[in-house]
Amino acid sequence: MKQKLMTIKNHAVSLILDTKDAKELEQIKLQFLGKSGSLTQLMKEITTLAPEERKEIGVLINETKTILEEAITTALTKHTTVKKENLAQFDVTEPGKRPSLGHIHPVTQAIEEITSIFEKIGFSRVRHPEIEWDWYAFGALNFPDNHPARDDWETFFIKQEKDPKKGSVLLTPHTSSGQIREMEKGKFPIQMLNIAKTYRRQSDASHVPMFHQFETLFIGENISITHLKGVLDYFVKSYFGQDRVSRIRPYHFQFTEPSFETDVSCGVCKGKGCRLCKEGWLELGGAGMVHPNVLKNCGIDPTKYSGFASGWGVERVLAMKEGVNIDDVRLFYANRMEFLEQF
Amino acid sequence: MRDHLKTKATAHEIAKAMSLTSVSIERMEEHKKDFIFDIEITTNRPDLMSVIGLAREAAAILPHNGHEAEFISPKITKPSPVKNNVSLEIISDDLLVNRMCAAVLDVTLKNSPEFISERLETSGIRSLNNIVDVTNYIMRTIGHTAHVFDYDRIKGHSITIREAKKGESITTLDGKSYILEGGDIIAVDKEGNIIDLLGIMGLENSVVTENTKRIVLFINNNNTHKMRQTSMRHNIRTEAVQMNEKGLDPELALEALYCGISLYEEIAEGQLMAPIIDIYPHKKSIENVTVSLSEIQRIMGIPLSLTESQKILNQLGFKTTVTKETLTAIVPSYRADDITIPEDLIEEVARVYGYHNLPSILPPVVSIDPVSIENDMFRWETRVKNALKYWGFTEVYTYPMVSEDMYEGPLESAVALSNPLGEEFVYMRRTLIPNLLKIVEDNRNVDTLHLFEIANIYEAREKDLPKEIRTLALVIKNKTKDYFDMKGVIEQLAQDCGINNLTFGTGGSTSLETRIYLGKNEIGRMEILDEHFINAEINFDLFLSHVSIKKTYTKLSKFPSVFEDITLIGNNKATHEVIVETIKNTSKLVRAVTLNSKFKDARTYHIEYQDKEKNLSSNDVKEIRENILSSLHKNLSLQEK
Repeated sequence: MKQKLMTIKNHAVSLILDTKDAKELEQIKLQFLGKSGSLTQLMKEITTLAPEERKEIGVLINETKTILEEAITTALTKHTTVKKENLAQFDVTEPGKRPSLGHIHPVTQAIEEITSIFEKIGFSRVRHPEIEWDWYAFGALNFPDNHPARDDWETFFIKQEKDPKKGSVLLTPHTSSGQIREMEKGKFPIQMLNIAKTYRRQSDASHVPMFHQFETLFIGENISITHLKGVLDYFVKSYFGQDRVSRIRPYHFQFTEPSFETDVSCGVCKGKGCRLCKEGWLELGGAGMVHPNVLKNCGIDPTKYSGFASGWGVERVLAMKEGVNIDDVRLFYANRMEFLEQF
Repeated sequence: MRDHLKTKATAHEIAKAMSLTSVSIERMEEHKKDFIFDIEITTNRPDLMSVIGLAREAAAILPHNGHEAEFISPKITKPSPVKNNVSLEIISDDLLVNRMCAAVLDVTLKNSPEFISERLETSGIRSLNNIVDVTNYIMRTIGHTAHVFDYDRIKGHSITIREAKKGESITTLDGKSYILEGGDIIAVDKEGNIIDLLGIMGLENSVVTENTKRIVLFINNNNTHKMRQTSMRHNIRTEAVQMNEKGLDPELALEALYCGISLYEEIAEGQLMAPIIDIYPHKKSIENVTVSLSEIQRIMGIPLSLTESQKILNQLGFKTTVTKETLTAIVPSYRADDITIPEDLIEEVARVYGYHNLPSILPPVVSIDPVSIENDMFRWETRVKNALKYWGFTEVYTYPMVSEDMYEGPLESAVALSNPLGEEFVYMRRTLIPNLLKIVEDNRNVDTLHLFEIANIYEAREKDLPKEIRTLALVIKNKTKDYFDMKGVIEQLAQDCGINNLTFGTGGSTSLETRIYLGKNEIGRMEILDEHFINAEINFDLFLSHVSIKKTYTKLSKFPSVFEDITLIGNNKATHEVIVETIKNTSKLVRAVTLNSKFKDARTYHIEYQDKEKNLSSNDVKEIRENILSSLHKNLSLQEK
């Protein structure tokens, strides 16, 4: 019986492979699987077997049946594809039936890109409070008591009693508060990527009260300006493209010394100078070597460890990308579908 | 600038060198044979807010950029002796004013000569007359602000400096009136009239008019914090105050006065009428800073020598001495506030050496903590966002500060801003839903909206920072969708994140508000606003604390399943959840039960039977089926239709 089954299977498969069209295939199907087909006949013979054999043969017959059915389906697909002239005519330019597709906000998309770029060189993303003590946002970052950034007209403060040590409560005006939170942990080296919402008391076409920054911090032994330049170049080429170059130039921040402004060559004029840039350069944001007072405030010995930090705007790098050129930053938060659907 | 800088470098070469090593020349504009530089000067460099300061800096940096250059110091001449002696009394306050220099002059008011008016106009200051122009010319060249009074309009020829009291009022020279809040630095005359708002703007009652014959040239070096406070409070942002709030070098004040006197002599027939007044109680001390060679090299990352460092600092006006390992520099007065620690000196050396001349090297990876994919909350958040995107949702970002109308919950326990920006942004939100509903309203013309946001909500805490709770909110507004579409999205999110103990319950008497539970914890709510307009909000932190990447594999079955449908009627109150449980509890061979369709009171369940050990016969299935039906009848009064 087993032998018989094997012969039927092999014979059928070779016939199926030889067929040239669906009609021929249909005949073969009848020949083996039809009411009086050979496999069907074999199945009827099962009752003549000894009970202990029945089960085994039953399973085998079922398997063979499946194999033949699959072979027929495959062959049928082949014949159908080949016989294009048999297909009905329809308008191929009509829209396809698409699965639903929404949109991820451009800011999230930029955050994802930035994260992937920095993670490849060992930075890890962290998250710290958005509502923070003055100490983390200003005090430990070496801001003098009467620094303008601590003014009521630059930073949002929360109605809450001051902490005797950590000061007032505020909305983080920059992601640099994350530097202190990381350094406090006292584990080295630190390779932080802090991407978060930041707040400033401002609102016009180029300023919104809430925006996003991405902050890097690298603290280790013998970390120098050359390393900051290395990371900056790597980021600029990865995010903006291989043909863009970066530079650092002197600037001033309370929590870094030396401090830098970082620039990217203009993507429109390729560094020659045009209406959109400043003599061929676009400002990316601030950076610098972490100020020794900041290290000391976090209990770190500045003679042993040094490091760099940078804090740049997510919306800013997004708006600077070729093809995006968003001239009104408020659009990111106006949530008009016409805008969001473009991303 | 070439009055004070001798170099063959072109304007473009100077601009490039300055941008790379000093301050940024933002734009250059050609004017006749010259160029106008638009320069962004950082707050630590008020010494560069003048032509002389820039020339001195340029002379220091140009030699490092391939150009010879020399600084030509201004020729300051001491004024000629006094002819007619008139009196002027000044009572200063050393807490408010660091240094005060003044001179009384007899003058003739007329137009300025062209070299002054043109230089002022091209640098953005309107030329008025020779008397006022001199003060602005001093500001542009020397870099110290200056003011001029009409001597004869100062009652009693006496000036007293004091803090303003709350409620005192003034009228500035542009005719605007202000009521002071107190603490502002003002000058009063003998009769107590306020005659100047120091460092910010002159007042109408004492400024020069076309009838002015005698003037007081008044140079004051003021408390920077007070400058900013008054200026910001009243929104008077003159160029003078923007310089004064950064802190100008008091050493420049007398130089500025001398320069002004010379100019009046030259262009206004000026004659000094009284001895010069110079009140300078706390002369600036001279500081020196020491830095070691190894620190310079560690921060710069290159083996720069001390000799080279010393050369750079000397060119910048520092007086330096070196040992084998260290360098000590005496800081020039005009840099005193900026250079106080070794790193400040390193910055000076490094920037002039040229950041562009330093190599660019990726930092070495020394050690990184092992990662946990399962605990990487950023990864889960991305996964959820992507799932929602592919299910047709659009992500939005809204402001966490909301108006009183948008705030939900008791205001007294709200996290509130003490200095909000208008009524729109006053409280830190307790829920994301109102923001999403606002977007739906703003996009009225769009029929179908599927929105979500993941952001923090805030809860006030005693003596601690407010608690920030990451929250996921969703809104569906779609004529073809209903409550069960939203519920399905949440169930599917849970499924995709390896969460299998999500349940739903009614919040109150109706099903309009549903509570979502993870185990016993409530993690969110759903709300039906209208049959086709549903929102949901989930505590995303709690949700993420239950996620899992663990997968368990069960051996594939050798025997096929048997399926059948049972349609039930008879008891509308029996919930789906209970029915499924009852069916499943009847036999271990029931593998899955799903609700296939609903029509009026009839619910059709699709049941899968499977035995891992053998093929199920129709008799086996029949037996289970009868048990199921009897159990449903007994427990739930349901019968087969």
